Amino acid sequence: MASSSDYVTLVSNDGFSFVVQRSAACISPVIKRMLDPKGAFMEARDNTCTLQNINGMVLEKVCEYVYYHEKHKDARDVPDMDFPTELCLELLMASDYLNI
Amino acid sequence: MSGRRGGNRIRGPQSALTDFLAANNISAAQIRDDYERRRREAEQDAGNAGEGPSNAATEQTEDEALAVAAQAEEAEKKSKKRKRTEEEAIDKIKKAKATKKGKGKGKKKGKKDDLDDDNDDDADYDDDFGMYKKAKPVPGQLEHCDICNKRFTVTPYSKEGPDGGLLCAPCGKELSKDLKKEQRAVTKAASTGKKRRKVESDRLDGIAVGGAKSLSQLCIQKVAQHHDDIEELGDLPQSVLERLSEIFSKKRVMKSKTLPLFLRPDLDSVVVHDAAYLEEEDYQQIFAIVPNVRKLVLSNTCQLKDGAIDYMLERCHDLRHIQLYAANLVQEGMWHRLFREAGAKLEVLKLKWLDAAFEDLVVRDMVKYCPNLERLKLKLCRRLGEDAVVSISDLPELKHLSLQISQDVSTPTLVNLIEKRGSGLQTLSLEKFIDADDSVLEAIHENCTQLSKLRLSENDTVTDAGYTALFTDWDNWPLTFADFNSTRDIDNNNSEGPEDAIGLASSGFRALMEHSGAALKHLNIASCRHIELSAFMDVFNGAQNYPLLEHINLSFCNRADTSVVAGIFKSCPALKQLVAFGCFDVQDVVVPRNVALIGVPRAQDAIEQFGIGIGVDEAISRMVEVAA
Repeated sequence: MASSSDYVTLVSNDGFSFVVQRSAACISPVIKRMLDPKGAFMEARDNTCTLQNINGMVLEKVCEYVYYHEKHKDARDVPDMDFPTELCLELLMASDYLNI
Repeated sequence: MSGRRGGNRIRGPQSALTDFLAANNISAAQIRDDYERRRREAEQDAGNAGEGPSNAATEQTEDEALAVAAQAEEAEKKSKKRKRTEEEAIDKIKKAKATKKGKGKGKKKGKKDDLDDDNDDDADYDDDFGMYKKAKPVPGQLEHCDICNKRFTVTPYSKEGPDGGLLCAPCGKELSKDLKKEQRAVTKAASTGKKRRKVESDRLDGIAVGGAKSLSQLCIQKVAQHHDDIEELGDLPQSVLERLSEIFSKKRVMKSKTLPLFLRPDLDSVVVHDAAYLEEEDYQQIFAIVPNVRKLVLSNTCQLKDGAIDYMLERCHDLRHIQLYAANLVQEGMWHRLFREAGAKLEVLKLKWLDAAFEDLVVRDMVKYCPNLERLKLKLCRRLGEDAVVSISDLPELKHLSLQISQDVSTPTLVNLIEKRGSGLQTLSLEKFIDADDSVLEAIHENCTQLSKLRLSENDTVTDAGYTALFTDWDNWPLTFADFNSTRDIDNNNSEGPEDAIGLASSGFRALMEHSGAALKHLNIASCRHIELSAFMDVFNGAQNYPLLEHINLSFCNRADTSVVAGIFKSCPALKQLVAFGCFDVQDVVVPRNVALIGVPRAQDAIEQFGIGIGVDEAISRMVEVAA
């Protein structure tokens, strides 16, 4: 329970948890604010974010996206990330909620 | 030596010598023909048939000498046959030149034409004239592979080699594999070119500048791609829904089938930017499903007719915002009725591209029945003229006014409009009022104190002095949006413009930036070509700071050069987009991070240049290095 660990956990509403790097997860301003050590949120203490409206499959793609985004931060002509069409709408809602 | 007939693939016994020659890829038949030919030539020269062989023998190598000896041996045995073959050889010479047959060897097949001799010699003749030409052999013959020089049988599927001759099966396979790889590389090169253009086009739409696209954007793209398969959009929030409808409209897939995806009873706005495919039933469906609509935006509504408007007036009682572009099938009577019945609550009205049905009288009715109108945009409505402007000046709540009227509107009318409404106006956009003159600007100066967006474009009467007077000691707070594009003197005989500059020129520009620099977000001075370099340097010199300026358009201001661009990068920390078409003195620009530079051409560069991951200072220092 370090005050600012390198890795954080994101938990979906069906119980799946994903451990990702803090720098990647904080691409989403929503998550960043939740995990901000200066804030008083419980998530900041445990370094864990539970996202009640996102299920496991979608959260997995979200984690993949944050890494993809971080990797290609300054690049040009970046190829688009691929994801299955069925997830599309739920992923859209999740991305809108997380503002990424 | 038994005779071999065409069609017989079985090889009978051959002499050991022929075998040896064949294994070393020496064509005994070829040697024989050579010999025959030389002999004939010798005959012609010396008339002595007997000299031929000995001549031939001395010219050839040892192997060939052996072969010749062998041939001579055989020839002695079958002299009669030899004579016949001679004649046939001559025939072959003639015919081969005509029909282009290649070398064949060994076997003769029935597929070969009548030139074949049913020679019992193991040295078959080939139609071999193609020593000098690589003529194509008929399928069935034996041939040497062009690449590996192996013997193989010609088939209808034999591939052609790079020199024109044929290839054996394995070499043929290799060649076609290489060809396929080349083709794939070519198409990949072409499609990567296309992909890059698509990426740049996306960026120009303002989607992403460098780096990866946002997840929302990726999802929306995918949804638009699979628009046919979607049955329901679920519970998406309204903003996402609007973005989706934008993309659908852009891709022209907003049709009867996909429209219902965007209609939900709980929505209060319906935004369709491309309603060209929507028909009467679709419009009625909109109003049926979403009766509480407050904001209705329909662009390209070419098929919107009176019936749909009638239904709308029946069902929807809460309309506040109506935006109908190109609704040309709505009749005049229906417009009158629309304003009469729905005008009371109407706050925003935007109409473009209207024709015969929308005249000055309709505008008068509009003003009469829509007292709460705050935003009015009337552009490209052909029939509107002076009377419409007079009527508009009586709208009490008007805050945002945008006009583009093609008929002539006299300047006093405009001045009157501004005098009456100026104090409440926050947005004023007057496009293409070509003859409006300095008095309009004076009126703005006197009456407008709350303006934040001002556009006066495509005008060639207002002078620079007028602009300077406007922005000097003006009570208005700083503008956030200033658009003075295409304000300049148009005279082909005098490209420098008159002495007293017309349009926004140096002093006007300086005054503008002095007045509004602190709050300005958008600046459009395209085609203000009388602005001098000194003015640019004074305004954008790195010392001045314009903290909110995000979009600048200085296309066709041909006095601007690279140092101006460098100054802009320095002075505008929030800069996102700089459009500079036609500024030919701007060269070798190194674009800093998060800035999109559009329109600066060098032959090798892309038309859009996006900031690479470096900071402003570094970009400028690099530019200085390049210039030095």
